[in-house]
Amino acid sequence: MSALFVIAVTALALAIVIARRRTIAVVLVGVQSVALGTYALVHGFGESSAFVVGGVLLVGKGVLLPAGLAWVVRRTREPRLIAGELPALTRATIAAAITLATVELIPPLGLDSRAADQGAVALVVLGVVIAVMRRSAVFQAIGFLVAENGVYVAALAAPGGLPAIVEIGVLFDLVIVVAVAAAFTTRIHDEFGTGDTTLLGSLRD
Amino acid sequence: MIEALVIAAPACALLTGAATWLARTARQADLLNSAGAGLTALLTLVLAAIAVADAAHPHRGSWWVLDAAGGVFLAVIAVVGLLSALLAPSQLATSGRGLVRAARGRAMYYAAYHAFWAALIAVPLVDNLGLAWLLVEATTGASALLVAYSGTRGALEAGWKYLVLTTFGLAIAMLGIIVLYVAIAPGDGALGTLDWPSIARAAPGLQGGPAVVAFVFIVAGLATKVGWAPVHNWLPDAHSEAPPPVSALLSAALLPTVVLVCWRVVVALGPALQPGTASALVLAFGLASLAVAVPFLWRSMAWKRLLAYSSLEHMGILAVGIGFATPLATAGVVVHVAGHALAKSLGFYAAGPLLRHAPRAHERAVRGLAFANPPTAGAVGVSLGALAAMPPSPLFVSELLILLGGIAAGEVAVTVVAATLLALGFLGLAHALVDGLVGEPRVKRWRSARSGRRLRRLTLVCGTLMLALTVAACLLPGSSIVSHLMAGIA
Repeated sequence: MSALFVIAVTALALAIVIARRRTIAVVLVGVQSVALGTYALVHGFGESSAFVVGGVLLVGKGVLLPAGLAWVVRRTREPRLIAGELPALTRATIAAAITLATVELIPPLGLDSRAADQGAVALVVLGVVIAVMRRSAVFQAIGFLVAENGVYVAALAAPGGLPAIVEIGVLFDLVIVVAVAAAFTTRIHDEFGTGDTTLLGSLRD
Repeated sequence: MIEALVIAAPACALLTGAATWLARTARQADLLNSAGAGLTALLTLVLAAIAVADAAHPHRGSWWVLDAAGGVFLAVIAVVGLLSALLAPSQLATSGRGLVRAARGRAMYYAAYHAFWAALIAVPLVDNLGLAWLLVEATTGASALLVAYSGTRGALEAGWKYLVLTTFGLAIAMLGIIVLYVAIAPGDGALGTLDWPSIARAAPGLQGGPAVVAFVFIVAGLATKVGWAPVHNWLPDAHSEAPPPVSALLSAALLPTVVLVCWRVVVALGPALQPGTASALVLAFGLASLAVAVPFLWRSMAWKRLLAYSSLEHMGILAVGIGFATPLATAGVVVHVAGHALAKSLGFYAAGPLLRHAPRAHERAVRGLAFANPPTAGAVGVSLGALAAMPPSPLFVSELLILLGGIAAGEVAVTVVAATLLALGFLGLAHALVDGLVGEPRVKRWRSARSGRRLRRLTLVCGTLMLALTVAACLLPGSSIVSHLMAGIA
């Protein structure tokens, strides 16, 4: 996997950290998933099973899941932008610092290139960072997708690829998790009038 | 024959969930739930019996395994799953509008419950780390819906926290699995690479760096699902907000089942690391969990929340036992899984009538239950006494075995710390027990002949099973079953 491609998909994740609007973030994660799916198709070309699996993943992650999240965004209109988040520049700086520190610390993972090692870890870290730093439930669900795209980078860069049943199984589980997250998001919005997850803070000891 | 059973047990749970979804009336759904749960439990118990009876010779297929360790966990999942399913109708009868509209609430509950149970049954049966991960992840969606079933703000918060934390944790575990897969068989795209025996065979030849990263990612990722400290934040909230039968399944079946996956990883992949590294990580999770749980066991706390922190403590004890990895500790872990399941599920089942008649018990500690309702007090007393490891609780024997196992392993310092924390935990729970039963009453006296009878029967069944387990636990050290467990876990 080329370093340029890894940088591009990582930059998309970083853009989600600073995106103001949920719709933009959904589009960005959709583009990231399509890029990874296309990469899988191009590199799996000639192997029918890899091509089919790549196609299913492209449609599932690049089209269906972002479309589902877009539906949730439409269904849960926010009266105003969620206040109280850190400024975009600060978020970007913190996210970049955490990601760079982690990828520098991580030893070689044995994937097809060092860039792939670092890209996979960077996306998982950025997924967690998005969930921690963004208050909207939709952004946290997008964080799942970004982290899972990190796992997908590792799968694509694994010599010989992952077994098809594992790749399809991971997609199936992801669809279920995102569907449940969508159900929660709409219910949280109905209950609180907003998707701001900082309001979910009543259970403390 | 065995492969057919291996497929039938989880399939029966799935079909029951589908059938209840299609039921036309609530009564139909309740009947289907009870009948399907009975059959599922029967099939699962048959598998457990085969596994334990023939512990010396694990049965294996192309993708499944039936070994003694899996057998113990299957028995626990079957018993707790059945009891929780049978208690669901009375729980649902008192539920109002929840996460979904009332008309579909019961169908959603049963469908999600049986899907969750099916995945749990399948986890000990699969002979492959990748498939085990898929099944553990599959429990997340269904169980998150069940946690938030009541639809209250607290339940939404607990369900969301559970979904977010465990999903990210499992993503990290999957990254570790891919690293392991690449390290074992670069360029080979076969699923069998991740079979437990394949991992165990390959482990001694693995290179240090990727093997360490894989191990840490997998165990740390799964730790979020087990609820080991410091990645346990979802656990107290989910256990306290879920309907009591679901809390029982979460605490008594889900957590130990994920512990089993961790245990297999430790045994299979441990030889790839420096001696003691794998044990050190698991012991660290265990001691951290004990240390975090104990202060909360000393606090005056709502009943289900107290049980939740007790789960954190007991998962910590299991981690300590797995980390010691001696025959005594292994015997202790197996007894602990079964004893904890019985005691904890009884505690959560007692919460059903308790919360119906004394709703404030959801927010603050109960006191004086012996005056308010003797059957509930009996269940709470047996549950808490057993969880505190008061003799003749099987947990007293299991904790003793684990600590002796620690000394046998030469881990004296860890054993002393664990014993100290367990003693402090015991004191906290003993105080909660005395205060809860004979403290100044905070709740009004109530009578309910039906729920009282049910709770008495449950207390009798769980109490008898725990006593039988105590006897079995005394006979277990030195038996051939333990050596088969040590050899056959992966």
